[in-house]
Amino acid sequence: MFWLDRNWVEARARQKILRALSEIFSREASSEARGLRLLKSWLTSEQLAQFEAKRYFDVIGCYTGRHYRIHYGTANNVHLLDTDGPIVGRCFVPVGHLVAGDVMLTQKITLETNELAALAVAQSFLPQQSFPALPA
Amino acid sequence: MATQIVMDGTGDTRHYFDANEQKALAKAEERFKQLIGDGFTAAKRTGAGQVSRIGSFDATAEETLFFPRLVGG
Repeated sequence: MFWLDRNWVEARARQKILRALSEIFSREASSEARGLRLLKSWLTSEQLAQFEAKRYFDVIGCYTGRHYRIHYGTANNVHLLDTDGPIVGRCFVPVGHLVAGDVMLTQKITLETNELAALAVAQSFLPQQSFPALPA
Repeated sequence: MATQIVMDGTGDTRHYFDANEQKALAKAEERFKQLIGDGFTAAKRTGAGQVSRIGSFDATAEETLFFPRLVGG
């Protein structure tokens, strides 16, 4: 009888843990989805098409006129490009724990409207991945 | 219906208000000032995918987006 009780208690505890984990995962998944929906609704049609196809999109800095590529991610995801591809990475992010879509949208808006503010705080890094070059 | 969209850990929080209603407009303006005071940057959509930053409350903006200040990563 005691053995049965113990099994029942353990099963209930397992069920509780699984339910809590599932709630955490679905909450995170829905935050992520909300961030992506917001990002997509603020992209130009060209940026949206590029993002849907390649999980990155390009923006033009409002001050320098240079091209940047914003990859899906929350850090180390912005690269300055030239016709040969990425030259250098620029890492700047909004404070707080924001989802990827929000971080990327912040980066797009800042580069397009206040590039110098982004460059003033950005940390440089060497791009480790290889990306397709911009058309000459 | 106008919207103020504030980025946060849940993706975003949205505040809807009727821009023709004086009380709602005043509340939205107060929220704008509070967020800017907290270090947020405000931007409004000016066309499909086109955005401009705004430093003061724009009662005509359909959507105003607020994002936190930037730091180097």
